Amino acid sequence: MFKYDYLRPASVKEACELLALHGDSAKVIAGGTDLMVQIRDEDKKWANIKYIIDIGHLKEMKYIKEDGDSICIGALSSHTDIVKSKILQKYAPFFCEASSTVGSPQIRNMGTIGGSIGNASPASDPVPPLIALDAEVKVVGTSGERTVLLKSIFANSYKTTLKVDEIITEISFKKMPTEAKSVFLKLGRRKALAISRMNVGVIVVVDSMGFVSDVRIAPGCIFAVPDRVKIAEDVLLGKVPTRELLVEAGKKVSEEMINRTGIRPSTEFKKPAIESLTTRALSQALEVE
Amino acid sequence: MNKINVNMIVNGEVVSILVEPNARLLDTLRDNLELTGTKEGCGVGECGACTVIVDGEAVNSCMILAASMEGKVIETIEGLGGDNGELHILQEKFIEHSALQCGFCTPGLVMSAKAFLDVNDKPTREEIKTAISGNLCRCTGYSQIVDAIEDAAKDYYVYDVCRVKK
Ligand SMILES: Cc1cc2nc3c(=O)[nH]c(=O)nc-3n(C[C@H](O)[C@H](O)[C@H](O)COP(=O)(O)OP(=O)(O)OC[C@H]3O[C@@H](n4cnc5c(N)ncnc54)[C@H](O)[C@@H]3O)c2cc1C
Ligand code: FES
Ligand code: FES
Repeated sequence: MFKYDYLRPASVKEACELLALHGDSAKVIAGGTDLMVQIRDEDKKWANIKYIIDIGHLKEMKYIKEDGDSICIGALSSHTDIVKSKILQKYAPFFCEASSTVGSPQIRNMGTIGGSIGNASPASDPVPPLIALDAEVKVVGTSGERTVLLKSIFANSYKTTLKVDEIITEISFKKMPTEAKSVFLKLGRRKALAISRMNVGVIVVVDSMGFVSDVRIAPGCIFAVPDRVKIAEDVLLGKVPTRELLVEAGKKVSEEMINRTGIRPSTEFKKPAIESLTTRALSQALEVE
Repeated sequence: MNKINVNMIVNGEVVSILVEPNARLLDTLRDNLELTGTKEGCGVGECGACTVIVDGEAVNSCMILAASMEGKVIETIEGLGGDNGELHILQEKFIEHSALQCGFCTPGLVMSAKAFLDVNDKPTREEIKTAISGNLCRCTGYSQIVDAIEDAAKDYYVYDVCRVKK
């Protein structure tokens, strides 16, 4: 079993200072639903861990609020907080839907959105909707704070671009226009084998003439780092949506998957799965049979 | 490794205790406080046998560091019965509906159900199923468990109010 000391900073600032002091031998813990499993499994990633820095009690990072035309979410908000938030149900319902599929009630009560991002798993459920929303994150370190695109936080599977002394404190995005439709769909469950996991978040806006004026397609589990798929979005942008175009957009997503990750043993399963999942999500959002 | 002093309320009593930095809440409850009703199944958040209630929410005590429980209010299965050994309404209904066989999953299931009924007045069967979806049972097949919780829900509000008054 790994042995470590437990540190309990009184503020975000103090947490960053502890991170700066202890460098790679320290790690922050929020809900612990990822970290506790990895430590128990003696994941080699944490072999030199000497300090666990608890940020779970820092209430200053637990809020969901409107700020003009943006929504701001404190990084310590749990998945349950997100599912229950009236603000998010109104302005980003597919994000609530995605969060409601995380694990179990217990996991949703403990797990935080900051932890989902910090863990950088390609199979995260709440991350694809945030990518579709072009969300930004506020990151605080000993030398101050910066706000960057969420997308840029992911370096690789399970690796972030955060500096050693940095903590994610807030996630924010622009409210979707009221006429926007969003859908999150997920295949498979965690308890079934990992290979069956796949998800997608989509947003579409159709103008008064029936043309698609905005479309975002953010699939999960198929890239090392989450991203929108521009070549699939371009299939629909400016068009009147038809069944054929939705099928075509689904094909573009799998094309992009193969472009980025190459042909793998799982491709045979993943290709048709992500195609039909994307097409299904788009047809629900656009109400095209 | 430095031990950590933690002050928490467990089943209504103030507990002040030194814990190892890597001790889980589950370990502290079972090994130090001798509250062995809370069980360890998988140890990785999948089975729910270790479910307890912290500040009103059901959580897996196998994934929580005991050191992080400073100031928290914790309920375990041992805290449910009355002072004179009366069973909680959920425990009664579990027995009435034969909602257990080996019983290993039962404390966790009862705690998930309690956290849920504490804030839900008239739950549907689907809502009950979701509320216990983080608790695995290898024996019963779940339908008796859902029956028991559904039945408890009918009298829960009145039961809870009377209990608090006492
Ligand atoms: C049984 C089980 C089922 C699960 N099912 C799902 C599922 O269906 N879908 C899904 O998406 N996920 C699932 N998860 C994964 C997990 O619950 C989420 O990723 C969770 O949100 C992580 O949040 P946390 O607060 O618990 O993270 P922690 O474990 O506390 O931290 C995770 C990582 O992020 C870092 N970190 C945490 N907070 C911050 C911060 N504010 N700034 C910088 N770094 C930070 C930590 O250092 C650590 O490396 C499951 C986990 C379990 C155990
Ligand atoms: S022992 Fe905690 S969830 Fe299985
Ligand atoms: S009664 Fe045996 S596991 Fe549920």
